[in-house]
Amino acid sequence: MNSFSESTMDTISLTIDNQQITTEPGRTVLQAAEEAGISIPTICAHEDLPSYGACRMCVVEIEGMRGYPTSCTTPVSEGMVVQTDTTELRKLRNQVMEFILSGHPDSCLVCDHREDCEKYRPNVTKAGRSTRCGFCSNRDVCMVRNYAITCYERHLNLPTLYCHYNLERDDPFMERDLNLCILCGLCWRICEKIHGSPAISINNRGRWAKVGTAFNSSYVDSGCTFCGACIDICPTGTLTDRYARWYGKGNFGWETVCTLCPEGCKIKSTLSDNKVVSTEMISFDRESRICALGRFAYAQLMNAPKRLKRPYIRDNDELTPVSWPDAIDFVAKKLAEYEPGQCATIVDSANIRENLHLYRRFTEEAMQGRFASVPAGDGFDDIDDESLKADLQAGKIKAVVLGGDYLDPELLEGLDCLIVLDYLPSAATKRADAVLPVAILAELTGTFRDDAGEIKPLKRAVDAAGEARPEWMILRDLAGALNRNGWPYDDINGVTEDITNDPAPQPWPGSPRDSLKDLPPRFRGAYLADTVPALKDVGLPSHPTPIHPRPTTGFKILKHEEVVPNFFLITIEAPKIAQYARPGQFVILMVDETSERVPFTLADWDAEAGTITLIIEEVGRSSGELVFLSEGDFIAHVTGPLGVELPVPEGDTIALGGGCYGIGAIYPIARELKQLGKKVITVLEACSSYTLYMESQFREVSDEVIIMTKDGGKGMKGGVQEAFTHLVDRGTKVDQFVAVGCTFMMRMVTETTRNFGIPLQVALNPIMVDGTGMCGACRITIGDETKFACIDGPFFDGHQVDWDELGSRRGAYAAEEIEAIPQDTHHHEKLVPITTSGGCALDD
Amino acid sequence: MPAIEVEPQFETLLSGYEKDRSNLIPILQDVQEHEGYLSEDAIVEVADHLELSPNDVFGVASFYTLFKFVPPGRCNIKVCQGTACHVRGSGLIMEELSKKLGIRSGETTEDREFSLESVACYGSCALAPVVIVDEKVHSRMTSKSACELVEESE
Repeated sequence: MNSFSESTMDTISLTIDNQQITTEPGRTVLQAAEEAGISIPTICAHEDLPSYGACRMCVVEIEGMRGYPTSCTTPVSEGMVVQTDTTELRKLRNQVMEFILSGHPDSCLVCDHREDCEKYRPNVTKAGRSTRCGFCSNRDVCMVRNYAITCYERHLNLPTLYCHYNLERDDPFMERDLNLCILCGLCWRICEKIHGSPAISINNRGRWAKVGTAFNSSYVDSGCTFCGACIDICPTGTLTDRYARWYGKGNFGWETVCTLCPEGCKIKSTLSDNKVVSTEMISFDRESRICALGRFAYAQLMNAPKRLKRPYIRDNDELTPVSWPDAIDFVAKKLAEYEPGQCATIVDSANIRENLHLYRRFTEEAMQGRFASVPAGDGFDDIDDESLKADLQAGKIKAVVLGGDYLDPELLEGLDCLIVLDYLPSAATKRADAVLPVAILAELTGTFRDDAGEIKPLKRAVDAAGEARPEWMILRDLAGALNRNGWPYDDINGVTEDITNDPAPQPWPGSPRDSLKDLPPRFRGAYLADTVPALKDVGLPSHPTPIHPRPTTGFKILKHEEVVPNFFLITIEAPKIAQYARPGQFVILMVDETSERVPFTLADWDAEAGTITLIIEEVGRSSGELVFLSEGDFIAHVTGPLGVELPVPEGDTIALGGGCYGIGAIYPIARELKQLGKKVITVLEACSSYTLYMESQFREVSDEVIIMTKDGGKGMKGGVQEAFTHLVDRGTKVDQFVAVGCTFMMRMVTETTRNFGIPLQVALNPIMVDGTGMCGACRITIGDETKFACIDGPFFDGHQVDWDELGSRRGAYAAEEIEAIPQDTHHHEKLVPITTSGGCALDD
Repeated sequence: MPAIEVEPQFETLLSGYEKDRSNLIPILQDVQEHEGYLSEDAIVEVADHLELSPNDVFGVASFYTLFKFVPPGRCNIKVCQGTACHVRGSGLIMEELSKKLGIRSGETTEDREFSLESVACYGSCALAPVVIVDEKVHSRMTSKSACELVEESE
């Protein structure tokens, strides 16, 4: 269309919020409003998708039209008069939000402590099930939350329901929690747009409606190619990227090019703390779609825990870390020993042009050797230089510069000199005379020629891992050390300018973006699935990994059940602990021989039966390991009882407050105090009615039970601090407060009760390792004294605790805790859907 | 999805419909009439015929309660859960039958002898509560008489 016809195109004039607007015919009222800078709330509308009209948030008033049409589905017409923000519309939108929130765990949104909580707990809790924003990986970007905070009144008229769908954790790359789904349809709509034939759909109807595949088949079998669009468009925490989910909001890095195969797809990265945590397609259209490697493997390869981060040279038969100048010097001297014709270089062609160019130049000029580049995704066998292979086998090649894991052990052994430039350890690095760590993927600036011949720029998004360097830089320095002239490259631009007539790489056979079967299995010669274990589940080959057998002796699990969402009651056979346990004490356990040691407060025990009971809340790796066990399994080690029991409080009336896992923790205390003839007032705090547990047991051992929920769905609205205030306000004489729960709750209780003149005991929960006072990890400050929570505690005078110090020490390993979350697929029958329509239970 | 050998009869059935999305529900009805339910294979075949994704077809089919995804039993038992039947204890009848047959509503016994369903209202309110066995209406049922009906049908 030329500019003349555009300028004469018909336009439509309308009024939105008393503003005169001109727009093109065919626009919707929503689009016209957005063009004019008028914002109408909407959840299911998306600029890359046709109108859908599901969420009903974008309702407007239009003169002459009945009711409240949705602006996303109403086309503009001449002379239309639209109001987008009236009292009536606000009321309607609030009602829509209320409907959405009645089926979406939301207690944080109506909680009076949200601001304080988020101040003291800046990172969300890494829960298995999200029961509220503070336990949801999508908290910082959630659209429902944004609207609820800005337009929703902090009041719920409708009951809060929880769907009780099983978590879908058996997917290679995604974690799905359909209890958070608001059925906006964005996921399957974008899937249909990008792939034509969607891998997911909304199945069933009414309250059983849920996003899924035909007959609940796995996504791998449903035709899903794992482009990740559904995750990236989901406005809630329903669909998440298992690897990236806990890194928080992150910043978008710039666009770069994926170099894992010759297609060279454009991708954009999300960065968190100088780390690429995920990569996505650059826009939601068919042409920009990417494959499972580009979407899910890329970041995991870059952040592989085994990344080579320092140069090593072989010294007295052992690889020893050295500085770069020493490494370069060593390698240059080594290579100088060989005659022309005795040397060869073997590298992966899945690399930037600059690296490939200098590999070739270095080989030909500095080494006068043979150069072979292996087609992307392939292994050594696929090198189409038979004479090189033959010469290697015949031992004619003495020295090899190897850019990956290419040679089998026999060939490696036969070499006189082996210099490896790579990013991961391999059979080759083990045998190498020198190992030089290289920058990969989004650590590189440069250019990539794709299989169609197009040259695409890459821009570095993050610093290279450790001391790793781009290969062109290493080769330049090596050439310098070998006294070669003509390598005056100050930066990469000089190398780029030097490249002439580099060939386009061979196309990869197949289409990785359209079929999982076509994914390239290797990068730099090594199986990708060895580094990214989830790729095994989409059919990529890997080397067998040693399986750590689960313990067959130790402490037997007799009972294991999810009592309320994300809380598990576990009863363990541990007669000695049960015999000596006292209220307030804890145990430290290790699930497997290699697990972390983690403390858990005893929620109950039975000396006669020889059992102990724990309440486990899934909040990360170690609690996650416990959650995935079953009845009959064994726990490798359980040590206890540890800590000092709660000293018997003076006075007659004791108010106990427990929140989350603390509900379990105060149960033995309530029982003991009751037996001692005290008056026991128990406060049970939960975010919502459906996360409250053990209420009936508490009624048996308490004189009064006060239920507190953050959303007010059951009992009183608020937390333990409000309940304690309530007791004082109503004139109940309390002699001692005890609070057990998260650090935030105990801190709030401390502040609230500071001036009540009533002593407060809190059970502190710092990081612990040995539990016997040796390691010092659980060091805390009480008044002006340093104490160890494991042997001096866990109970301390709350009003003397240095809460800031405790908070900061607890958060010391936040990054490591995220990295520690396992990335292989969880196969666990309890956590995969059982029926098509089941799983949804109303809670009363 | 695996390639499936198309049964000749099924092929004839599909060939009667143009490749148009609007034919989806008539085709599914037709398939169910012939096969008694919608099997995974049938869903894939219908999807192929209309050039849709099986997920898409399943999404549509599962919206409607009339479509079944498990093969029906030799004997089909419906328990009316309409208002009149409900107030006269049809819930207990369903519970009892479910226990007796070891299946929930919407399921078929492993030996494919019985399938159990609930209907929202059968329109026989004056006879409430009703149980319908293979389209024959049995009136004024109790848990006990419903179980006897099942025994007679064995």
